[in-house]
Amino acid sequence: MLSINQDIFEIIQAKFSSSEVVRCIHLNVSLFTELSNEEYRILALVTKKSNSALFLFFCKKPNPIHLSDLFIETVIPIDENFECFSDTILGEDKYLLFIVKYRNFILEFRIKTGLESSNFASEIIKCKERSLYENCDHRWLFKYSDVKSPLDCTENKSQSPDIPFVRQNMAQNQNAINRESMLKYQLKLKEPEFTQYQEFTIFTGTWNVNGQLPSISLKPWLSCDTEPPDLYAVGFQEIDLSKEAFLFNDTPREAEWEKMVLEGVHPNAKYRTVALTRLVGIQLIVLINIKHYQHIKNVAVDTVGTGLLGKMGNKGGVAVRLDLHNTSLCFVNSHLAAHVEEFERRNQDYKDINARINFRRHPTAIKDHDQIYWLGDLNYRITELTTSQVKTLLLRNEMATLLKADQLNQQKERGNVLLDYNELDITFPPTYKYDLNSDTFDTSEKARPPAWTDRILYRGKGIYQQKYRSHMELRISDHKPVSALFKSEISVINQAKYRKVHEELLKRMDKLENEFLPQVTVDQTEIKFDLVRFREPQFRDIIIANTGQVPAEFEFIKKLDEQSYCKEWLRITPYCGTVNPGEKCDIRLEVNLETDLVELDDILVLHLNGGKDMFIIVTGKGQRSSFTTSMRALCRMSKPIMTLDDEQYRKIIALDGEVLYSVPRELWLLVDHLYTHGLTVKDLFESNSTQDSFIRLRDWLDFGSTEPISVSVETVAETLLIFLSYTKEPVIPSNLQNVAIAASSNYHNCKNIINEKLPDIHRNVFLYICMFLQELLRHSSENGYDAKTLASLFGEILLRDPIRNSKPQASRGKSNFIYNFLVNDLSTSIIPIK
Amino acid sequence: MARDYDHLFKLLIIGDSGVGKSSLLLRFADNTFTGNYITTIGVDFKIKTINIDGLKVKLQIWDTAGQERFRTITSTYYRGTHGVIVVYDVTNGESFANVKRWLHEIDQHCDVVNRVLVGNKNDTPERKVVLTEDAQRFADTMNIQLFETSAKDNMYVEEMFLAITRLVLRSKKEMRERQNFTQGDTVNLRKGNKQGKKKNCC
Repeated sequence: MLSINQDIFEIIQAKFSSSEVVRCIHLNVSLFTELSNEEYRILALVTKKSNSALFLFFCKKPNPIHLSDLFIETVIPIDENFECFSDTILGEDKYLLFIVKYRNFILEFRIKTGLESSNFASEIIKCKERSLYENCDHRWLFKYSDVKSPLDCTENKSQSPDIPFVRQNMAQNQNAINRESMLKYQLKLKEPEFTQYQEFTIFTGTWNVNGQLPSISLKPWLSCDTEPPDLYAVGFQEIDLSKEAFLFNDTPREAEWEKMVLEGVHPNAKYRTVALTRLVGIQLIVLINIKHYQHIKNVAVDTVGTGLLGKMGNKGGVAVRLDLHNTSLCFVNSHLAAHVEEFERRNQDYKDINARINFRRHPTAIKDHDQIYWLGDLNYRITELTTSQVKTLLLRNEMATLLKADQLNQQKERGNVLLDYNELDITFPPTYKYDLNSDTFDTSEKARPPAWTDRILYRGKGIYQQKYRSHMELRISDHKPVSALFKSEISVINQAKYRKVHEELLKRMDKLENEFLPQVTVDQTEIKFDLVRFREPQFRDIIIANTGQVPAEFEFIKKLDEQSYCKEWLRITPYCGTVNPGEKCDIRLEVNLETDLVELDDILVLHLNGGKDMFIIVTGKGQRSSFTTSMRALCRMSKPIMTLDDEQYRKIIALDGEVLYSVPRELWLLVDHLYTHGLTVKDLFESNSTQDSFIRLRDWLDFGSTEPISVSVETVAETLLIFLSYTKEPVIPSNLQNVAIAASSNYHNCKNIINEKLPDIHRNVFLYICMFLQELLRHSSENGYDAKTLASLFGEILLRDPIRNSKPQASRGKSNFIYNFLVNDLSTSIIPIK
Repeated sequence: MARDYDHLFKLLIIGDSGVGKSSLLLRFADNTFTGNYITTIGVDFKIKTINIDGLKVKLQIWDTAGQERFRTITSTYYRGTHGVIVVYDVTNGESFANVKRWLHEIDQHCDVVNRVLVGNKNDTPERKVVLTEDAQRFADTMNIQLFETSAKDNMYVEEMFLAITRLVLRSKKEMRERQNFTQGDTVNLRKGNKQGKKKNCC
């Protein structure tokens, strides 16, 4: 066994890449809900680096030999969403129910209890524990995305997924399982609408052959009727009384008796073996007229020993179950405990067989079948009468008296055995015990009283017994064979009607499924913003209303190759969430313009998890502002930016026109105000001025005014920082940033960069700012600033990184660069500018 | 795992705004029609399971916004599609003229070639401007099956959806057969030049 496991282990490992390591496997797993026991599955725990997943394999054979025998059926990642637990299965102590859960996704397995399962479970738990403090990355599982996986329905919430990924496995939703079972249930309810009863002739026979060789034709028994039956169920007992048969449950007689049966069946029809099952000497063969063969489905067998120690196969029962058209049939052949006084033991055997026969598929138990045919050497005797009394009564044909003394009839009446089973009146002589090769009752010394040990009973609707008889001609055994012929109503599906009902149901379920898709409405899908001004946020609220029947998980998702689910000037809060049916959720869209964008335009994709997507259009107009205009353009403006007409503005932006100022007018106004009013103000740059005062100052600059500045000097200082932070190009252009940082330890080099590399206006602005800062430093005793602090503050701004909000790099270099210009005398070393 | 269908296909309905894409879907999935025009702003889908040649086929049918400004976004939904239904309005010549562009979109965004052409609103003869002959001629040159439907009068809607599903089924079958063929012992000869690059945009 170990080597087989090892082989399979290697085959499974071969299914994966070398970095994906199979940690352990569990063979012979079956899905708890699976009806057929002819399917084999294997669970494998696979690890890649610190990530693990549980793979469910479907295999064609119980022991796969080739790679192609195995298919990956399901992949379940092991992370914080993974749970597993086990449970007992009612009436089964050798198996347990193993449940794996991943969010809404549930799988239930039946696995054998033992070392293999406990080891496997503990490995899984180890992996789960590890996943809790490791970063889980399931991307390696995506290549298995064509198989069913709970990953399909779970999105990583922290990063907004893009459209294709969400879509990928949309349709393989987890309610596929629910739909299937619902469909089955509904079909069952509607069965009468599409089925009709058709009569089938069922021949059942039982014979205890007393270990004799199959030497005679069975025709007198099996084909004694004029019409060929549709189905045969033929049971034997004691086909082999040898020790070998008993110990190894193996006998050549099995095939020999099958051959005899096939030769003995009715000559007017062709038969095919549906099932053959045997426990030591108890054998049951089920044959079907081949014209019905295709209507037989879900054949299963089981055997139960009730002999020595209550388990051995010298006594017991064997059973075959099958579906004929739409009716489930079960045939039981039993050989119950012997001896006159052992009737209670026989009752017990019967109960044991009922309790222990398990077809491992639905229905699992004998009692759950539509029709049951119970036959065999039940071994019940005639009591309270001596052998000679029995014989006399028989001669007088006083059957009623005899049948009253029959133990089976007595026990059945008391409800101790074969409750609810029917038996036709016996009209044939007792079938036991005869002298071999004769029709004479036992003449040996024991002279056992004759008995109806061999019986056939039935239970279920629509069974009409036609005949019940023994066959005296077959003399090789000390028992006579018995047969019962039934006309049984079998439910046959009318395919046309079935299709109609089925289609109706599908339609209803489609309707349900569509109704249960998340549905929301949005009160507006076109959001227009008024003129949007620099650093003056505006917002609009939209309302998402859940008009569906299920909670709707919504999320704004990325489209195409975009970085985020919305443009950088827009903010959506919340960008994801859940709305319950009938409830609403307000979403705030906020624009904040920090660039010179004129046309604001974005299409938002509002995605419902498992449902539709809605598009929301956001538009607006950006208003021009000196803060986002290039310094080179500003130096060409003779008046405030908002007072220019469109033509003037367009020209200036295109840098068409004369340079009028060496630094932008707005910059000069701000610095001049600070120079006049702020040099001695403590912590000048550390104020938090109100939005309102900033806007007043912004408009004062952009629209122009004859009034003096009416905001605090701290606001002016802060506005200066803002102005320098949003200039279209950093004062030290981005392409010079690295050079500047590299040169920062050498004033001479820094000077060269300023003198030789910087565009004129940038150089002017830079020096203008530095000279102002030097002026500030002259008042450091009052304002509290030192060169290092100012260098650090302005370094970040004058050498700001090209992408806003990116992490400050080389802050020290930037600061050092500025520092040079704060502590050296600029007037002597810098080339003056015209 | 038990499931209640044999195949699952994703179909996509595209075409100009207002040609009746949503109406076709509503008619097919819910057997309803409403004269009120609500323009689709987004993409929505419905489920419909059909029996076709003894197979249960579950269709997930996506209805897309037809407006020009959504075109780049909607094209992302082409991915993974098995069949595309291109719709125009027989009473609107421009929508028919745009069919070419829509077909081009398909070629650009997915591998699938299962397509049908649908002239919808074929219920008011006096308003019809796209003649059947012209549409048929165009369909023939593009090698695409043409259906003239009316979601309003429920004409040929079901037939059209069944036809595209059959096409998808057939191409799936052919693909499987081709795979079986290439998995046989005839592959190796061609391996060098044929298996070089496979278009794989979907």
